[in-house]
Amino acid sequence: MRRKNRWSACFSAGLMLFTAGIGLAQSKPKVAFVPQIVGIPYFNAMEEGGKDAAEKFGVEFVYTGPTDTNPAEQLRIVNGLIDQGVSAVSLSVLDASSIDPVMKKAKEKGVKIFTSDSDAPKSEREVYVAQARDQDLGYTIIDELAKRIGEQGTIGIVSGEATATNLNTWIGFMQERVKEKYPKITLLQPQFAGGTAQRAFQLATDLMTAHPDLKGLIAVASTTCPGVAQAIETAGKIGKVIGTGYGSPNTVRAYLKSGAFGFSVLWNPRDLGYLTVWAGKQLIDGKPFAESNTVPGLDQPAKYDAATKVLLLGPPTVFTKENVDQYKF
Amino acid sequence: MNWKQWLFGRRELTLALACVAVAVFFQFLSPYFLTTDNLTTILRNSVELLLVSLGITFVLATAGIDIAVGGALGICAIFVGWSVQGDWPLAVVVLIGPAIGTGLGLVSATLVVQGKIPPIIATLGLFGVYRAAIFLLLGGSWISGLPDRLGPAVNTTIAGIPLTAIYILFFYLIGWVVIRWVPLGIAIRATGGNERAARLSGISIGGTKFFVYGFTGLLVGFAACLYVARYRNVETSTGGLIALDAIVASVLGGTSVLGGKANLLGTMFGVLLVRLLQNGFVLIGVPSLWEQVITGALLIGVLILDAWAERRSPNYTRWLATR
Repeated sequence: MRRKNRWSACFSAGLMLFTAGIGLAQSKPKVAFVPQIVGIPYFNAMEEGGKDAAEKFGVEFVYTGPTDTNPAEQLRIVNGLIDQGVSAVSLSVLDASSIDPVMKKAKEKGVKIFTSDSDAPKSEREVYVAQARDQDLGYTIIDELAKRIGEQGTIGIVSGEATATNLNTWIGFMQERVKEKYPKITLLQPQFAGGTAQRAFQLATDLMTAHPDLKGLIAVASTTCPGVAQAIETAGKIGKVIGTGYGSPNTVRAYLKSGAFGFSVLWNPRDLGYLTVWAGKQLIDGKPFAESNTVPGLDQPAKYDAATKVLLLGPPTVFTKENVDQYKF
Repeated sequence: MNWKQWLFGRRELTLALACVAVAVFFQFLSPYFLTTDNLTTILRNSVELLLVSLGITFVLATAGIDIAVGGALGICAIFVGWSVQGDWPLAVVVLIGPAIGTGLGLVSATLVVQGKIPPIIATLGLFGVYRAAIFLLLGGSWISGLPDRLGPAVNTTIAGIPLTAIYILFFYLIGWVVIRWVPLGIAIRATGGNERAARLSGISIGGTKFFVYGFTGLLVGFAACLYVARYRNVETSTGGLIALDAIVASVLGGTSVLGGKANLLGTMFGVLLVRLLQNGFVLIGVPSLWEQVITGALLIGVLILDAWAERRSPNYTRWLATR
């Protein structure tokens, strides 16, 4: 009897410790981010920033996403995270048209859901953490390119997935800018390469064939940058066709140095991941965003637009042969 | 033989005519289509697909299928990329792709032969495993900006003929000799035509399957080598859905998914037609999304015509009578 009692005492003490452990682990709220695709340098950098922020602001960071740019798979993952009981979930939207049911589910379960990197503007998301304003990104690439080609000539566009909201929005602003400011520039219809360098190479080569006077090629998705740059090198058109795109310094470094790429436009994805987790923490704590937010660990204050619910990281950066070596992502 | 049989009875001829028709159509709309530069580009862009499709044609002939080739190509490309990056001896750089490819092909064969798993399931499973392996191997960072060490393998021309064209002719010639003139070819077709009858007549079914999957793996590995040589970049999506394109090309070319038939020349023209369409749509300024619609419709159309012709043929009636 005595013996049995001792064991049960041990057992209940252990059980108590165990529950306390779970309780302690749960006391740290979870903030999740679902990228468009895992395993590419861009989203890896966001993950890194997210981890840093999680450490700084005392939350647990969950990073998981699809292995190819598949919208259905992404929604499945977001659904799973909601069921697992994360406090806030953010995603870089692949398909804005199919996002509403999962948004509704999150609201019902009291999970803060918001977008980051790629938006679903018509949805009920709490906030959109934007890398830079889409307008600035679209305009900057056209302005920089126009400067280099003497404000006239034909420019081709090779994009990634045809359903990716962010890519299509940028293309929209490129078209707008050309229409308003550069009457002598012809912007061709965008071509979509999906996710492979091989298809981007093929499309870029074909565009150069179809338009022998082509002056510039814009690789909109980071996955299309290597293919487009390689096509310009292979066709022997370095100097005649200026390649550019939204590629991270690591992805485009070799092409900037070979001259196939004149420049590249992007923001720092590490900072974007950092800001995303900070925003998640604010939402969980129920703190509203101010018009200008000082985020500990970021150089520039993040501006917030209450009307569109957009939290902005800052203006885009232009990478060139000269400054690319300062960046390691 | 009436004119219909003459024209539609030989698939490679029908496809060649289709290619010509497509070419004329595109030339009509874009003056740059029928230029040496553009045609060379189309052929260059077909090399990897031609190699993989040759393997797939063999696999289909045994009534098998290999969906994992895209993943296998990615894995081979990673090792080729590393070998170029690490400045390994040239022999290793050249042979590592085909060696690993053959190994991966034999894994598929083991699952199909020893594991008795239907090929579509076995290779679908492997495709998932390979995709995950690619992510783990690359650890999220692409291999990019590789030195141009393998460049000569794809950019050299001998007496005006690109070296890549010689690779293609070499492998297709081997394929043709095997399927047409060697007992192994009969074994391949017999296995696909009627596996039980083939086994009863003393053909080694297992050995035949090991050969076709291994051979496909070898070709995939070689394709990976050329991929790295050309793009000097290995991204996580390398290989992608090349299996689907290869199956489309083979089936367009007259190889039956039900096995027993292989048409290598047809496969060649199948690849050419797919690439002509992809190229032409860009040249005439149509968004490339439409080309997928056309390829899909073409495939379904051909399969319907096949089924229809099969039903009207005397062989089919005879076959029905034995049921």
